[in-house]
Amino acid sequence: METTKTTEPWRVGVLFSQSGFMAVIEETQLRGTLTAIEEINAAGGINGREVEPVIYDPGSESRAFGRLAKRLMVEDGVNTIFGCYTSSSRKAVLPVVERLNGLLWYPTLYEGFEYSPNVIYTGAAPNQNSVELCRVLMEMYGKRFFFVGSDYIYPRESNRIMRELVKNSGGEVVGERYVRLGADRREFNEILREMKNAQPDVIFSTVVGDATVHLYQAYNDFGFNPKVTPIASLTTTEAEIKAMGYDVGEGHITAAPYFQGIGNDRNSSFVDLYKRRYGEDEPTNMCLEASYFQVHVFAKALGETNSIDTEILRASVIGSEYEAPQGEISINPVCGHADLWTRIGRANQNGQFDLVFESKDRVKADPYLIGYSRNLAFG
Amino acid sequence: MSGMIHRQEGPARPRGGAAGRSQGAQQGKETASSFRFANMSVAVIVDRGDDGERLIRELQRARVRVQHIWPVPPQLPVDFDVIFCELTDDLPSRLPWVPGEPEAALVLVSTGKAPLDFALVRNCAAQSILHYPLQPAGVQSSLFLAREHFLYERRLRGRIDRLDENLRTMRSVERAKAIVMRMKNLNEEDAYHFLRRQAMERRVSIGSVANALIDSQEILG
Repeated sequence: METTKTTEPWRVGVLFSQSGFMAVIEETQLRGTLTAIEEINAAGGINGREVEPVIYDPGSESRAFGRLAKRLMVEDGVNTIFGCYTSSSRKAVLPVVERLNGLLWYPTLYEGFEYSPNVIYTGAAPNQNSVELCRVLMEMYGKRFFFVGSDYIYPRESNRIMRELVKNSGGEVVGERYVRLGADRREFNEILREMKNAQPDVIFSTVVGDATVHLYQAYNDFGFNPKVTPIASLTTTEAEIKAMGYDVGEGHITAAPYFQGIGNDRNSSFVDLYKRRYGEDEPTNMCLEASYFQVHVFAKALGETNSIDTEILRASVIGSEYEAPQGEISINPVCGHADLWTRIGRANQNGQFDLVFESKDRVKADPYLIGYSRNLAFG
Repeated sequence: MSGMIHRQEGPARPRGGAAGRSQGAQQGKETASSFRFANMSVAVIVDRGDDGERLIRELQRARVRVQHIWPVPPQLPVDFDVIFCELTDDLPSRLPWVPGEPEAALVLVSTGKAPLDFALVRNCAAQSILHYPLQPAGVQSSLFLAREHFLYERRLRGRIDRLDENLRTMRSVERAKAIVMRMKNLNEEDAYHFLRRQAMERRVSIGSVANALIDSQEILG
C-alpha cells in the first residue's frame, strides 16, 4: 500500500503547549517543528508527498498529553508524534505510543534513566550537559553551590546528579530549595534572602517555565553580581532570557547542545529561515533546534523507507546521522537517544550566549550513566 | 506518573483478586471448562437480538456474573473484569482509559454488518474479538483468552514498574551507603550491613531506610 503512487500527505501529530505555564518554551518547540515541516514541504515534500501536521494544545497539563496522544493515534490515524517538554507529559504519552506502537519524538533535555522502543530522544541526557558544566563552574567561580529548582522529577534528579559531581570534585552544596511549578515572584524573595546568607559561588538553577523569569528578576533586585555569583542552568535558553530582559540575563551561564550564537553556515541558514518566518527579534534556542532537526531526521529516514510504519521507520532512524544546526548529530543505536554536542555559554547584553566551552565532537548519549563513576549513576 | 502507580499494586481491584482466589479454591471440584470463570463479573454491551441473547446465555452457562447494558454508554463502565462490547466506529473514544492502561479486559463483538476494520480493532486495544453469527464455543474461549491476555499485560507492566522502582532503590542504597561510610567511617561492606540491620530491626525495606537517611542528610546538610 505504501509503495503505490499517491499524493496523500504524511500526517504527523504535534503536541506542545500553547497555553499555560510551559507555553514560553513549548511555543518555540512548536515553531521549530513547523519551520522544518514547511521547509520540507517547500522542497517538494517526502517522495512527492507533503507532511501535514495535526496540532493540539495540551495547555501545560500532563494528563491532556495522554488524552491527546490517544486522539492523534486513534481519531487522526497518526503514527508519529513530535512533542512534550516536561518528563511528566512524556510519561503520560508513553503507554499510548507503546500500546499502539507509535513513535514519539521528544526534543527536550531530561533526567535520563529511561528507554522505550517507541521514543526517539533528541534533547540532552545528563552526561551531555551536567558533567562539563560542573567542571567549568568550579574553575571559573568556585566550589560553593546553591541549588534552586522547580518541584518535579527533572530538577530533583538533575540536582542529585549535580550534587554528586560537586562532591566528587571537592565542592560543597550550601543550600537546596524547590518552588512549585508556576511559582510567582514573591515565592523567590525568601529563597534569595537565604542565598544572601549562604554566600554561594554559584547558583545552580533547574527552575523551568514562567518561574525562570521571576528567579532571575528577583536575583537582579537583590543586587547579586553575575560576574561573581552567576546563575548556572540547564534549561534557561535564549527564549527565557528574552522574556526576562537582556540586562537581567546578562552574565548568567547555561549548558546546552546548541546556542543561536554558534558560528557555522548550517546554523546561519537555520537562524535566517526562522527569523524570516517569525520575525527578526525572535531568537532560536536548544529546544527549538532539537524540535527542528528531529523533524529532518524523521524526513530523511522516511525518504528511505517510504513507510511511516513504526517498525520500519525506526529501524532506519536508528544509527542515522544528520547535519543539524548544532553540528553533525546521530541517533545512538544502543539507546535511541541523540549523540549531541556539549556547549557552555554565558549570556551577553544582546540576549545571546558567548561560548566558554565546546566539546571537540558530539558526545555519545549515556542516559543510564553507565560510562561514569558508580556514584554518579547510582549515588 | 500517577497512571503508573495504581497498576503495580498487586491486585489493583478486589474483583480481580476475588476471581483469582476462587479459581484456586474451586479447582478440583469444577470441570476444567467452567472453574476459571467463577465469580468473574462481565458486562455485555450488545443489542438483545438473537445473537445477543445467545451470547448472554453462553456467558451465564460459564457461571460468570453477567450484566447487560444497552445502548453503548458514552463512557464504558470500569467495574468489571471483562467487557463484551459491540464494535462501533466511535468505540475508542468511549473507552474511559488510554490505550496501554486498560482497566478491564475488552472483547469486541463484531456484528458482521460491515467488513472488519483492523485499524479500528487496533485502536480499541482489545484483548479478543467475537463474530456474529455467534458460535457458542467461541464465547468461552474469547472470555478466557481476553482475561488471560489482560492479566498477562498487567503482570508485564507491573514487572517494568518494579524494575524502575528497583533501579531507583539501588541508586538510593548506593547513595545512603556512601553517607554511612563517611559518617561512621566504615568500609563499603560494613556500611551495607549497617543499612540492612537497620531495615531488619525496623521491619521496613532497605530502600526506605536508605531514602530516610538521604532525606535527613539533606535536611542536616
